[in-house]
Amino acid sequence: MKLTPYLAFAKKSFLNRSAYRFNHFMGILNTLVRIFIFWCIYRALYGERNEVDGITMAMVTTNFVLSIGMDALFSINDYYLPNRIGNGSIATELLLPISFKGRMLFENLGNTLFQLIFHFAPALVVCVVTVGVLPPVSFGCFLLFIISAVLGYGVLWNLSFLLQTFSFWLLNMWSLMTIKNVFLNVLSGSMIPLWFMPDWMAPVMNLLPFSSIYFTPVQIYLGQLSAKEIGTKFLVQMLWIGVLYLCGNVFWKKGKKKLVVQGG
Amino acid sequence: MLSFEHVRKFIFSDFSLHIPRGAAVGLIGPSGAGKTTLLRLACGMLAPETGEVYTLQKNPVEKRSVLRPRIGCLLERMPVLEESVSVLDNLKNLQIVHRMSDKEFEAEYSVLADAFGIREFEHSTVQGISFGQRRRAELAAVLLHQPELLLLDEPTNGLDENAKQALQKVLKERVQQGMTLVFSSHNMKEVSDICNRIILLEQGKLLYYGEESTLLRKYAPMDSMRLKIAGNIPDMEDLPLEKYVVEGDELVLTYNSNHITASEILEELLKQTSVREVSIQKPDLADVIFEIKGGRNNK
Repeated sequence: MKLTPYLAFAKKSFLNRSAYRFNHFMGILNTLVRIFIFWCIYRALYGERNEVDGITMAMVTTNFVLSIGMDALFSINDYYLPNRIGNGSIATELLLPISFKGRMLFENLGNTLFQLIFHFAPALVVCVVTVGVLPPVSFGCFLLFIISAVLGYGVLWNLSFLLQTFSFWLLNMWSLMTIKNVFLNVLSGSMIPLWFMPDWMAPVMNLLPFSSIYFTPVQIYLGQLSAKEIGTKFLVQMLWIGVLYLCGNVFWKKGKKKLVVQGG
Repeated sequence: MLSFEHVRKFIFSDFSLHIPRGAAVGLIGPSGAGKTTLLRLACGMLAPETGEVYTLQKNPVEKRSVLRPRIGCLLERMPVLEESVSVLDNLKNLQIVHRMSDKEFEAEYSVLADAFGIREFEHSTVQGISFGQRRRAELAAVLLHQPELLLLDEPTNGLDENAKQALQKVLKERVQQGMTLVFSSHNMKEVSDICNRIILLEQGKLLYYGEESTLLRKYAPMDSMRLKIAGNIPDMEDLPLEKYVVEGDELVLTYNSNHITASEILEELLKQTSVREVSIQKPDLADVIFEIKGGRNNK
């Protein structure tokens, strides 16, 4: 697969984002408001205590800043495929000499790069100055955090793509995507840090991919995992990417076949 | 090059034909005849239940990735432009998709933009332009990469006369350069002007595939000749005419062109009288469709 056209689409997607400045600033404000609200809630819950079950307020704040920041960074368009199936243009796009999935991924990567530079970075600076963010435990942990965040992105992208392929059979995707987003918010640690989840939830969370998206990178950043545990978590993340990719591919192929049998 | 062998899909049954490279084929027939379905089979967006379809000598469903750069198609309910993006950006996206250099794109875009008058709305989003403008932009989009095979389904819907003329000119040029064209339309004059072969479908059956003149002889053989005569009314009893009408100094003759030619009639009449003016009216493709519909209604 030659990368040139895909990189061109990533570049185009990056440049297109800069055209909507008001929307962009509102996006940063939204991220900051979300972080601030959660910070206020947990500040009130912590009260005078320095830590709860060994988790300090600074760790909770860092968890919110990083996971909500990554949420803004990995802004995947859950309706990329459903919209094209809805208006019929998927048939035309499948006739173009470029991989549909490749274009979809690279357009999102261009968007993510824009978000990293112009959304995540300024929001992080504001958070460091206002609510305070813990530094990474070590430079090594920071590098491993970046690798884990990239793997988390892979899990989220493949999860979104798998769900999007259901639009070949479903007319309305809103409810499915809403359920996914609720699970994502609750089980990825971006709303409730997973340290505070009851013990009986642990096996449930282990069976689902959500904790691999934001919480694993945060744990690595805060130095909560040993080298062995980091290796295991990486394997779990890669396993989820593999499983979701394979499932997504099965449904994608079945969906395309349905389109060809029944007409575009 | 396209070939269809024993295709069976929804309405088609025992359907076989072969379209050679460089042909300009008009796909005609009443509504519901299967024109769009045939085009969808050709571009690989439909798979036949039995039988085989080959597009540019390849299975269009299995070899879609190989065929994709070589085909252009504009079909019903298959939008080729993104609604929220400007016309020019849409075409630039296709430049990326087809891996065209800036120079190639500029050269091709310049020709198509001038032909279809796109420049006046190139910066407007697709959702903000009229249906006719959208259709012009869509035509530019499917022609941009100079496809070897172009499949068009009712491409002149929504086009004004200037744009129709421009499309005809562009298509004729491309066919001369070797492009194969399959073009469905209800406008028989367009089909007649652009295409050198005709596929006539009716309810999924291939009624005819070949040259237009042969089709006309088969389905609409009745020609009409109007003559202004200067002398006596000639005796026409021995001529195999369908009918003749005398209107003052004018004669209106209706005859089957398979049984007698215009020159044979004239030769006979000139033996008996002098003729001041002659005009011959030949049936067109619209008459063929009318004949078929009439036949179906009579059944």
